[in-house]
Amino acid sequence: MAFLAVMEKEFRMFFRYPLRVVSSVLVGLVFLVQFVYFGQAVLGGRYSSILQASTGVGDYPTYALIGYVLWWVSVSPMEASVWGIRRELQRGTLESNVASPMGLLEMVVSLALSWMLMDSVIMAVVFLTGVIAFGVSLSWFALLKALPIVGLAFLAFLGSGLIFAGLVMIFKNIGPFAQIFEFLVLFISGVFFPLSTLPAWVVSLSKLIPLTHSANAVRKLFVGFPYSSVTGEVAWLLLLTPLYWLASYALFKWAERTARVMGYGGY
Amino acid sequence: MMPTIKVKDLRKSYPKRIPLPFRRVEWVEALKGISFKVRKGELFGLLGPNGAGKTTTIKILTTLLEPSGGSAKVLGYDVVSQAREVRRRINLVAEGERTLYWRLSAYENLRYFSNIYYVPKDEAEKRIRELLQLVGLWERRNDLVMGFSRGMKQRLAIAKALINDPEVLFLDEPTLGLDVQSALFVREFVERLVKEKRKTVLLTTHHMAEAERLCDRIAIIDHGRIIALNTPENLKRLVSEGETVEIRVRNLRPEKVKEVDGRLAVSEEDPTRGTLLRGNLDEEDLPRVVEGLIRAGAKVLSVERVEPTLEDVFIKLTGRALRD
Ligand SMILES: Nc1ncnc2c1ncn2[C@@H]1O[C@H](COP(=O)(O)OP(=O)(O)OP(=O)(O)O)[C@@H](O)[C@H]1O
Ligand SMILES: [Mg+2]
Repeated sequence: MAFLAVMEKEFRMFFRYPLRVVSSVLVGLVFLVQFVYFGQAVLGGRYSSILQASTGVGDYPTYALIGYVLWWVSVSPMEASVWGIRRELQRGTLESNVASPMGLLEMVVSLALSWMLMDSVIMAVVFLTGVIAFGVSLSWFALLKALPIVGLAFLAFLGSGLIFAGLVMIFKNIGPFAQIFEFLVLFISGVFFPLSTLPAWVVSLSKLIPLTHSANAVRKLFVGFPYSSVTGEVAWLLLLTPLYWLASYALFKWAERTARVMGYGGY
Repeated sequence: MMPTIKVKDLRKSYPKRIPLPFRRVEWVEALKGISFKVRKGELFGLLGPNGAGKTTTIKILTTLLEPSGGSAKVLGYDVVSQAREVRRRINLVAEGERTLYWRLSAYENLRYFSNIYYVPKDEAEKRIRELLQLVGLWERRNDLVMGFSRGMKQRLAIAKALINDPEVLFLDEPTLGLDVQSALFVREFVERLVKEKRKTVLLTTHHMAEAERLCDRIAIIDHGRIIALNTPENLKRLVSEGETVEIRVRNLRPEKVKEVDGRLAVSEEDPTRGTLLRGNLDEEDLPRVVEGLIRAGAKVLSVERVEPTLEDVFIKLTGRALRD
């Protein structure tokens, strides 16, 4: 299957350099530690009743760890587009793929999914390290229970991140712009502080970001709430996912058609 | 019999800017209506200078670009509406050296491409081995492409292009930038593919000797138009009359050449060895031409009669030399 081939290729190219993998994990950790300590300093301890009241999770490290790990994975398909696809565009390997019977759509989706899985591996390490370092109480059962939501969230992340696949094919150098976008998402989706502290219009905007709902839902399930407590979040994800996929698909089709007029290289 | 490649009045314009909806953009005409047919088992060459439209033609035929007009069929399939059918049955060696994954080994590259060309697994194993042995890279199969020389990379690119056992092979400047030995390997390899495996090959080059030696037929392309199409022998008949001369001069500004004689063109400029002019003249014209050059201020270093080549055909047809 072509999808497995793309995945194998991406995994090989990434995990071939252990130093790069280790440095990714370290970057992930350093970033996380900063935020957790900063948050605790502001709150004056690890427990916050405001956090508890507005999100259902009162333990700050637990709150931040889950949001952070999901954020990292959520921007992964976007990174795959603006760096991975861009790199192949520049080098000409993309054309080698386009010329094959596999088709560009399958290649692009496979690539984004591969990056998301690679980042998941890295984030699994960061997560477990975080659990140990911050003494987060971990229930394997709760983690298992959160998996279906994580799966749904992945679909939503993929759909929204692939918008950038179409964009990068035409506008090429959008990496820096995407980076700004990544941090915007980090701040307005309630990863490090509850949304209730933000202005109302930002809160409405944050509803459009799949990460907001996935982080909320996973946090609740993680601390033992039942599925019935996350129906709102699930409904949002079920609404956003097809919308993002549709938007990404339309944009991709336009980009593909345009690229076939302009040429895939076009530098 | 149905031609393997059939190109009819093919046109291509590139937009100068991204053609966003509601935005007027200017277009550059790269192909201005070209037509040709290639038969099965033929080695067909597109010869032309930089920017002639060779790569554009190859990209349209390999479904990477959409034409602006006209039609192109490969093995009877339309390259636009039946792109997938075409892709299964063809392959290409694209321009440049970055068409493979440098951070994968030779073997991993071929396995990747065998997968995305849907080659059955057991078949693929066998074929990868055969191909790597054929291009002399079997011993290096586990090395990353990154460390390969330009010639090795090109040999691997050729192996990749054969991974789906294509009926038609497209090669865009397959010897460009290669050392003499690697270029020779590529030429002989391509020749054997056509003779022994009955593959149909379309290659582009701006290397005249290469086109002449390899190709059954050649289309000379310039500014998006085919200006001549025939076998190398027949093309050279265009310059069999009179005599072909090479005149080496110094101190002559290139723009003066045409004033002296329109049939002369600058085929080489070398700061140390001077300027090499070339042209197909009538026998009795030579003294007058040399005199003209001297009067124009040139120092004539040597005059030599040479065998006409395709370069002279190009000069005759366009007034310009096709420089390597
Ligand atoms: N993607 C593109 N966008 C805009 N113009 C292009 C594009 N690709 C090619 N062109 C233009 O189209 C014309 C034909 O280019 P093409 O690459 O087909 O020539 P070529 O014969 O392959 O030349 P070379 O020998 O340099 O490879 C040139 O004028 C070139 O500048
Ligand atoms: Mg070219």
